[in-house]
Amino acid sequence: MNFLNYGLSTSWFELSKPPLDISTNGHLIDSLWEYTTVLAIFYFVLVCIGLFGFSYLYSHKRNKTPYYTYGNKKSHLMVTALIGAAVFLSVDLNIARVANNDMLNVFWNYPDPKKEEVLRVQVMGQQWMWSFRYAGPDDQFGTADDIVSINDLRVPAKTKVLFHLTSKDVIHSFFVPNVRLKVDTIPGRITRVWWDANVPGTYDIACAEMCGTHHYLMKAQLTVYEKDDFNQWLATSAHIAKTTNDPADKNLQWGWKWEN
Amino acid sequence: MSGGFNEIHEAPTTFWSKYIVSYDHKVIAKQFLWYAIFFLGVGGMMALMIRWTLAYPGQPFPIIGKLLLPSTGGVIPPDTYAMLFTLHGTIMIFYAITPLLIGAFGNYCIPLMIGARDMAFPLLNMLSFWFAALSGLILLASLFLPLGGAAGGWTSYPTLSTLIGSPGDGQTLWCLAIFVLGISSTMGAVNYITTVITLRAPGMGYFDMPLTVWGLWLTAILNAIFVPVLGAGVMLLLMDRMFGTTFFLAGASATAGSGDPVLFQHVFWIFGHPEVYILILPAWGIVSDLLSFFSRKPAFGAKATAMSMTAVTILSTLVYGHHMFTTQMSPLLTQSFMTLTMTISIPSAIFFANWLGTIWKGSIRFDSPMLFSLGVVFVFGLGGLTGLHLGTVTTDLYLHDTYFVVGHFHYTMAASVLLGGYAGIYFWFPKMFGRMMNEMMAKIHFWGTMIPLNGIFFGMLMVGYGGMHRRIYNPFVYDSLKRLIPINEMITISAILMGLFQIVFVVNFLYSLWKGKKAPSNPWNVGTLEWTIPSPPVHHNYDEIPVVKCGPHELGNPNLKNGRDFQYQTEELVKG
Repeated sequence: MNFLNYGLSTSWFELSKPPLDISTNGHLIDSLWEYTTVLAIFYFVLVCIGLFGFSYLYSHKRNKTPYYTYGNKKSHLMVTALIGAAVFLSVDLNIARVANNDMLNVFWNYPDPKKEEVLRVQVMGQQWMWSFRYAGPDDQFGTADDIVSINDLRVPAKTKVLFHLTSKDVIHSFFVPNVRLKVDTIPGRITRVWWDANVPGTYDIACAEMCGTHHYLMKAQLTVYEKDDFNQWLATSAHIAKTTNDPADKNLQWGWKWEN
Repeated sequence: MSGGFNEIHEAPTTFWSKYIVSYDHKVIAKQFLWYAIFFLGVGGMMALMIRWTLAYPGQPFPIIGKLLLPSTGGVIPPDTYAMLFTLHGTIMIFYAITPLLIGAFGNYCIPLMIGARDMAFPLLNMLSFWFAALSGLILLASLFLPLGGAAGGWTSYPTLSTLIGSPGDGQTLWCLAIFVLGISSTMGAVNYITTVITLRAPGMGYFDMPLTVWGLWLTAILNAIFVPVLGAGVMLLLMDRMFGTTFFLAGASATAGSGDPVLFQHVFWIFGHPEVYILILPAWGIVSDLLSFFSRKPAFGAKATAMSMTAVTILSTLVYGHHMFTTQMSPLLTQSFMTLTMTISIPSAIFFANWLGTIWKGSIRFDSPMLFSLGVVFVFGLGGLTGLHLGTVTTDLYLHDTYFVVGHFHYTMAASVLLGGYAGIYFWFPKMFGRMMNEMMAKIHFWGTMIPLNGIFFGMLMVGYGGMHRRIYNPFVYDSLKRLIPINEMITISAILMGLFQIVFVVNFLYSLWKGKKAPSNPWNVGTLEWTIPSPPVHHNYDEIPVVKCGPHELGNPNLKNGRDFQYQTEELVKG
């Protein structure tokens, strides 16, 4: 019964909060979640007031004679229509509008590597690991000097990072809870995601789509470096790649030409 | 309205024709009921094994673990775990809830409530059950294959469900079982639609039908349209698995031409989203009726409720893309699906208002069917509102494939539908078997279900928001998820409690079947047609086809002077 111990030391609501938001845009998702939740609670409380309140007030003991009505008087219809309209206007239209703006202006507004400083990374999911590929000194993907790593993604802080993802075998889903994003990796397709992380540290990357027996072990580590540290790591890795990449190793050759 | 084929059939005389290949809708309904209860038990046991693994990974499953898994000493290994959650989903949706709500109540209630002697096509009805039985047999047989049953999730997304990810024959048999079940469902659906259209008693317009029949009828329409889509999808998958086609293969493994795995998701969810409403609509109908019956007043805005249910039915066919936001469809599609999804809340809000309007100023009797109906209003409120977070694209980017989704759809599809099903069983049991169920045990069963149920599913919403994703054998290989162990343990303990309280139901059901108090013809004092005839009804239901003169919810009319507070539908409406 160790859940009782935990329950007493930290509140469960504290425990169930999402992990630290390390991105510049994750707060958009968090704030929309909170807004939706507040409204959902508001309407659920209304339902509960009706449900429990009426059950108490109009139980057979307290109210012997029911009110004989079909609920088709004008006032009844007005109230019903008003509730429908209120829900739609306050909740649906609002959250759909915010989500639509965030989607078009931020999450699906991919940075253009030709116009601004963007780190590009290719990602390949396979049963059951993540492979990452950086362009290397020649700035071209799918060449011999690419830096390739397994289950180990390192990115600079305060820089936009753009990922192109695919899968080798089955559908996986690239899930980084700390930036609040996930995107499926699909065989035969390239999907995209971008973020701008700003808190150095190490975080979890998970596969969120059922991909076989060891789905639960398909995890990688995300390291966010300060920019200088990242550049240093990149230089070292480029050197290692140049000296140790084996051109005959088929497992290194999964990269593709980057197209926007 | 009542067609020429509503004649009296002779009652069967042999055991075989009476109980096995019966054409009688009442017997077929009971066959489906037993079938559903059996599979509810199987699926429920699987749920407990899943929950055990999530709270106590690596520890042997208590009591029956050693028996089921002798090679591991009772510990559930990861491949078995994948099979368990796949078959838990499949069984609960297709083999427990569908036969309970649609097979049992659909068969039992539709002819009786509209004053018909049987379904329009009794032979088709019999075949529908036996195809379902065959399908169940195929699915259960897959458990005994060398590589076990299907393990790609109940959604069985390719390419995981093709030979690339699932070489075992379990997945093949899964496709076959679903296809055969699709045949059964389609036959049932065609039958229900025809019955409602052609066999309504004279005088019964569509808005004189009880809302239960409305729910079942709309469900049948969705079934008839969309189950064949699923059938086509799994047939294509079956061909990919067996005949070397590549409808859903792509990438490095597609050596013989290239298809598209996302295509399957489109086909699956075109069916899959309406399926959610296929399951919930009968429960909505039952609840709408029972709230009125036990509040002793007419259903508030019954016409609006029926129209809202119809609106939801139509909208449900247009929103499936919200299951696929993370596959990156075109932004235009994503926007459209999000907006259409949001519009579902208008009709939903309207019938919620009508449900509360129904109990408002009523004279409420808290008998067990009513308790379960009120329970549905509560849990469906939670389930519906958490759908908002998932229908919104940006919040879905975080929540998709987490336990938040699992909590949400269990509130809507499992909790609401199960409670609605129990409400129906407690309500119609006297009519079905001619005996009353024990009310005390029913109330214990209600509270013993309702409280742990919220522990389970609200706990799931919490761990999901905390970032725990779905279908992982051991969440605690992630350091960031270790903090969620206590909540997972609470969920598991709730699940075990809820499981134990279902024993009360089974005991009550079996005891009442043989030893229950004899039921009068109308124990709940309501006026719909099935209560005008003896419990249980005779083989041909109605000696004379009733003539309907008023609506199904005539309760609490102050002008009534005959000592009753309700009117039968066969009576002329008393006016002041």
